[in-house]
Amino acid sequence: MLALAVAALAAAVWLSFRGFRSDPAGARRVALLGFRLTAALLVLVLLLEPGIELRAESRVRARVALLFDTSRSMKFPAGPSGPSRAEELRRWATQHQDDLAQLASRFQVDVYGFDKELQPADPGRLPADPQGASTDILAALGAAASGGSGGRPLAGLFVASDGADNAELSQGVSPAAAAELRRFNAPVFALPVGAQALKDLAVEKVAVDDFAFVRNQVTLDVVIAARGFGSTDVPVVLRREGQVVAQKTLHIDGSRSRYEVKLSFVPDRTGKFAFTVSVPVYEGEAIAQNNSRSFVLKVIRDRVRVLLVVGRPSWDVRFLRQLLKKDPNVDLISFFILRTPGDDPHSSQDELSLIPFPTQEIFQEQLKTFDLVIFQNFNHRPYRMSQYLDGIASYVREGGAFAMIGGDQSFSAGDYAGTPIEDVLPVTLLPSGPTAVDETPAQVRLTDPGRRHPVTELASSAAQNESLWTALPRLPGLNTTGPLKGGAQTLLQSPEGRPVLVVGEAGRGRVLALLSDSSWFWSFVAAGAQLGPRAYETFWHSAIRWLVRDPALTPMRVTAERPSFEPGGEPPALDVQVRGSDYGAAGGAQIVVVTSSATDPVPRPTGAAMAGPDGNARIVLPPLPAGAYKATVTAKRADGTTIGEAEDAFVVAPASRELIEAAPRPDVLQAVAAATKGRVIEASDSLATLPWRDPERVEVGQRTSKPLWDNWKVLVLLCLVVGAEWTLRRRWGYA
Amino acid sequence: MLSRRTLLGVGLALAARRALAFGEAARLSFAQVRHRGRWDPRPDGLSRLAWEIAKRTSIETSPAIKSIALADPELFRYPFAVLSSDQAVPPPADNEVAELRRYLSYGGFLLLDDASATRGGGFEQSARQIVSRIVPGAQLGRVPRDHVLYKSFYLLDGPSGRVASSPDLEALELGGRLAVLYSGNDLVGALSRDSLGTWEFEVTPGGELQREKSIRLGVNVAMYALCLDYKEDQVHIPFIMKRRRI
Repeated sequence: MLALAVAALAAAVWLSFRGFRSDPAGARRVALLGFRLTAALLVLVLLLEPGIELRAESRVRARVALLFDTSRSMKFPAGPSGPSRAEELRRWATQHQDDLAQLASRFQVDVYGFDKELQPADPGRLPADPQGASTDILAALGAAASGGSGGRPLAGLFVASDGADNAELSQGVSPAAAAELRRFNAPVFALPVGAQALKDLAVEKVAVDDFAFVRNQVTLDVVIAARGFGSTDVPVVLRREGQVVAQKTLHIDGSRSRYEVKLSFVPDRTGKFAFTVSVPVYEGEAIAQNNSRSFVLKVIRDRVRVLLVVGRPSWDVRFLRQLLKKDPNVDLISFFILRTPGDDPHSSQDELSLIPFPTQEIFQEQLKTFDLVIFQNFNHRPYRMSQYLDGIASYVREGGAFAMIGGDQSFSAGDYAGTPIEDVLPVTLLPSGPTAVDETPAQVRLTDPGRRHPVTELASSAAQNESLWTALPRLPGLNTTGPLKGGAQTLLQSPEGRPVLVVGEAGRGRVLALLSDSSWFWSFVAAGAQLGPRAYETFWHSAIRWLVRDPALTPMRVTAERPSFEPGGEPPALDVQVRGSDYGAAGGAQIVVVTSSATDPVPRPTGAAMAGPDGNARIVLPPLPAGAYKATVTAKRADGTTIGEAEDAFVVAPASRELIEAAPRPDVLQAVAAATKGRVIEASDSLATLPWRDPERVEVGQRTSKPLWDNWKVLVLLCLVVGAEWTLRRRWGYA
Repeated sequence: MLSRRTLLGVGLALAARRALAFGEAARLSFAQVRHRGRWDPRPDGLSRLAWEIAKRTSIETSPAIKSIALADPELFRYPFAVLSSDQAVPPPADNEVAELRRYLSYGGFLLLDDASATRGGGFEQSARQIVSRIVPGAQLGRVPRDHVLYKSFYLLDGPSGRVASSPDLEALELGGRLAVLYSGNDLVGALSRDSLGTWEFEVTPGGELQREKSIRLGVNVAMYALCLDYKEDQVHIPFIMKRRRI
């Protein structure tokens, strides 16, 4: 618009000039052109409405944000055997009081403490015991940069921290993080705290499932963080309650800060165990506590591995094998004696499918791989097995399970009297002879313990259970034994009191004696009587679960409230359920807890309680230092006799990354400073003299506008100029 | 008057090893199915098979054969039943078929032995009809030569019997096991002896070697009924493979 007006005025002046340019009197020409130009300028002024603005201005002080790390990692030592990082920071703040005052004279200084978020702080009162649960340096800087006092320009940021970030910057400053830092448009100056303790080795991460299958390889993915180390070999050791189960040597070459190691082992028994992965603590390390890491692993069975040794094929064998083979939870290894030395097959060995009985392999080399060993109508004598019977008895006492099923080659008739097998059986035996079996048919009846025992529970209702057992077909005969062992329980017996089913414990193992070779009557013959095979199947499934200590059928249980407890937090608590071996609630039982740890395998008393009327108790243990623990709970009756024992494992270990990934990270602070054109400073550097951005910024207080055209003088002048030009043009004879 | 079977039974019982078994229940006892046709064509065959089994293997057997009707609940005390004839078998009643179905599905084993050994004969036709009624629509299938039945005790290369009429054994499988086994070669007939101990029938065309194979097949069938697929357990395979190559 303005350009159009100027162009129109210029064109008008030019056209008027053309009218008299041929005039020889140059002075007149110049005078007229001058008047016309002046008139045009005055018209332009009227069009543009020019004015004068008067402003009152003042200069604004820029803002500096100071951020002090108040996360829990600051509680770790700043240097080997030195004060904590927090203490070192407090000392720095004290020494820099004047410096901070000088800074405050130039800038508006905002002071913050930070962990995962910002909070206002006083540099003279920084916490000696910081409690921040995590560290997020980028978020803290971002909040400080965008917030602050009254929108003042940001001259820069200062952060004092160990750099142990466990959020966005935990893996270093990524390009995205660097871009975000650059958007602050202000330098970040960083004071690394604890940087003198750069040397640190840590078991940073152990990745493993919560449970594993017994006899199946378990692989742990371990991340070892190593800082300040040159080329060196580090042994990484996995221990189960103090015992080394896997070990690997990790070569650290100093080129990286994180290394991955895979540790594998094969758990050989079920239960809950505390494991510890550890690396040695080297001299001068920043933190010794992070050189080991504990976890609890529950080892369960994928399938119950059963060894079935059979003296001779029979219907009892056939129905049990069929049941076990069909059970997807059972891995059955069976050996049947198909031919005895007295049999004559009328053929050469090569025409037979028979294999040698691999006694050494199964009873010596492989024995411990089985959860349960069943001798079904099997006499050991013809197979020179006496040398292995001790091993089988030891296997049972050490936690294995053993069942002997009756027949004419079993119990007393199998010549087991006086052998180590008799020692673990729940019944005593008689010398082999005609009295070793009793062919009188037996109708089974539940005994009092049998009414409560899970092995003989065919139905949840006691009356129904009783009637189901009573309805089953009579057994055609029973093995004869001597008196029961102490602690053994008869669950089934004949009406005249002959034991049919006896269970007991031998050491840590469980044993079952079924004094019949015709439990298949409870399946096939019962089916013929329209009862179906369910009783047989339920009985055997329950018997196997009880024998292998299926947790659901364990009479006494202890369970840690949680698998992991925080050090210094809520103390570990155990829930104990005491049942006698008859599964009745043991109210009033005296419960004692002893704990041992991976580093201190000596069991130490840590708690005691009395079970309530329902047999339950809750025991709170004293605060325990970080470590992996096994709690063994023993319950006794008032007369001092032992009711039972149970175990559980738990760890006391920090769960947060703040305490695990706590090594100083000056590299993170260096990268943050570099991304913002700031720098890392020394503790002795003065903040006041740092090259803060200090941007020029003025603030307008009052503003006044005065128009230059809006008065009569401009109009009069315009009239005079136009009038003068018109008068002269007329006088000099121009049109 | 003592029957020939009673005499034989006493003799066999005396010959059998003394064992402290809990009565007959612990032993392998055969049940002969009593139907409305000629149900006992080989009166001494099964006792002889029981005797051979006891002599050659660790299995304890009972020489006494229990003759029993399909609908008799006592059948469930004898998990090994034999149904045979040398002629067509009158169709069993529906309730008998139902009982047989229960018997087999709960674990029983039925040997159908064609004493006539005639392919397409009356017994074979009626046997196939019975099978198709046990499991509606089901048919007997060929037992492959690598089936565990042929290696349950002896390593055998095929079926055998009094005559070589059928090249294969056939079977009905229930729950992953052979529940019904059909032999078209008069298997039991090859084992029959008279009261004087001489073989009752000539075995053709293989003579005494074929008879021995028949005994071995009978042993294998009994062993299979008691041990099922035991010989297919992994531990046996290398041994069996090695001997098969010989």
